[in-house]
Amino acid sequence: MTTTTVDTSTAPGKPRLRAWMRGVLAGPLAFIASWILMAGAALYLPKGAAGIDNMVFPVVLFPLIWALLFLYSLLDRRLLRAYGVVMLLLAVHGGLIARHLAGAGA
Amino acid sequence: MIKLSQERTKELLAIHGWSGILLGLLLYAVICTGTIAVFSTEIGNWSNPLDEPATDSLPANITPLVHELGADVDPAHRETFFLYTSGGGRLMLQFEGHLESEDEDGHPGAEEHYGVLYEIDPNTLTVLNRTEGPEALLDAARRTTDALADFFVDLHVRLHIPNPWGLFVTGVLGLIMMVAAMTGFVVHRHLIRELFTIRRNKEALLRSRDAHVIAGTWTLPFAFVLAFTGSFFSFATSLGLPAMAMVVFGGDQERAIAEVFGEPPATDDTPAQVADFDAVIADAQARTGARPNFVAGRFYGRADSQLVVFTPAVEGSLTGRSPVYSGVTGEFLYDKPILVGQQPSAGNTVAALMGPLHFGNFSGVISKAVWFALGFAGAYVALTGMLLWTNRRAEQRAWQRMSRLVHWVGYGLPLAMALTPYGTFAGRWFGWAIEAAQWTAFGLAALAALAIAMVARSVAQVRAILVATTGFTLLGVPLTRLLAGGPGWVEAWSGGLTTVVAGDIVIIAGGIICLGLWRYGAGTSAVETGRASAAAREATA
Repeated sequence: MTTTTVDTSTAPGKPRLRAWMRGVLAGPLAFIASWILMAGAALYLPKGAAGIDNMVFPVVLFPLIWALLFLYSLLDRRLLRAYGVVMLLLAVHGGLIARHLAGAGA
Repeated sequence: MIKLSQERTKELLAIHGWSGILLGLLLYAVICTGTIAVFSTEIGNWSNPLDEPATDSLPANITPLVHELGADVDPAHRETFFLYTSGGGRLMLQFEGHLESEDEDGHPGAEEHYGVLYEIDPNTLTVLNRTEGPEALLDAARRTTDALADFFVDLHVRLHIPNPWGLFVTGVLGLIMMVAAMTGFVVHRHLIRELFTIRRNKEALLRSRDAHVIAGTWTLPFAFVLAFTGSFFSFATSLGLPAMAMVVFGGDQERAIAEVFGEPPATDDTPAQVADFDAVIADAQARTGARPNFVAGRFYGRADSQLVVFTPAVEGSLTGRSPVYSGVTGEFLYDKPILVGQQPSAGNTVAALMGPLHFGNFSGVISKAVWFALGFAGAYVALTGMLLWTNRRAEQRAWQRMSRLVHWVGYGLPLAMALTPYGTFAGRWFGWAIEAAQWTAFGLAALAALAIAMVARSVAQVRAILVATTGFTLLGVPLTRLLAGGPGWVEAWSGGLTTVVAGDIVIIAGGIICLGLWRYGAGTSAVETGRASAAAREATA
């Protein structure tokens, strides 16, 4: 907490930079992460009786996933942690997709 | 009561306000047009009625006519065919195939869709219009039949921006609306009390703030559902399905379609008889308990032809059904879930629920009226939210300009929408391209509203002029419909065209309400006056 106060009061350029970084995280990055999460989730969710639940549920829930990531990105006071969470989701699901596509292509 | 620290409340309030103000004007346009689009079927029946009323279900005894018209279409253009109803209850029969174009050297070029569209009077079973040509021409013909409803629906669905970009924009607007609803829910510290609180003896700004909060609180669940389902519709086809096809099926679209919609039957292009459509429709009605309203078929006149018959939901069911028949013998083949998959599933049920929840069409006119009222409240919340935000900052020049912009869109959009039917009727009467005529009317109204917003003495004057003009414009709509050859009230009533009379009455009532708001002032008017600045300090304190 103390660190944040010192940061913002002694370096007038930093609050603006932090605001931009938060905006980038909540805007484009959260959107991309939601999209990748939606696509990646289809690889591990149960397929259900008709074999389509794993594709339908992520598509249906995409708006909610984005809204939650957007709000979380704006509200987590520790910007670095927020970046970490979003990037982790992005990396895990991006990795799943890459592994699946590489396996399919092999 | 939701307990939040003062700092966290301020943060959420900032997200709530900024998310609304940044894209609020476009969001307001999407909500306004969506509210009207709830009654798109009724708008079609009102603006382009036949001499006698017709239902939106498929009529009886159509087999001889369909067989006759189908035989008249080049077999190359009968890969797919559709039977459905359009504005005024017109029956539409459409055939489509592919046309291979050739370049200058005679080499095969790109394939394009090509087909024939028949517009049929379902009462007399006579062909009203026949259009043959590429897909764009068929689209234009289809849109002419239901021009006014299509204009509002397109504005709502994609703001008339070409796909997929229009869907992306409205999808993002839906996400913004979800964020505004979620943050609005959390920052309302006294949810129950705020449902009933309006401080009548306080400053105008506080009263307006209370009205915004009351309307917003009552409609919060609805706003969330609409935003959620709206975003789903925008992103499902533009972003979701392509992503699934790419990831799950490695880009193999044929495999994706087979998985989701079922394996196509083995190809057999041997010419064959065509099924009895009346028997198929009657069987589907007997199986499902509802009269079908849509038939989609493929390979008309071939041995591998199949028909998918869609029926609306019956009482006690959440969704409709879609039995599949042989397109040759008319034999029932199997019952297919209405959207995706080859057997009932939770995924199909959830996806199928999105439609009724968004369109409000699950219980006829009553549920539509409720959705209209809630949509109207949503538009009111969006507009008053933007007015409150700009007026709290009214001492700054930039926000004064923003306030004029909000007034232009807030009150100019209803005016432009009210003027659009003038374009529809003028286009139909003079034989102009109806879509262009509608755009001209809409655009002229928008430009006139912009001019008023720029030159008026105050924003209060902008509001007064635009509300009054909208009132007079609405009052003139039924007269214009009549002058353009539409049926009069006596003729319409005696002919059973009750939608025409009801539509006129609703529009006249809307005009009278606008004139009442202009004459006596209400709601937000006081917010926009110079008194706002002083009250703003109290409100924000």
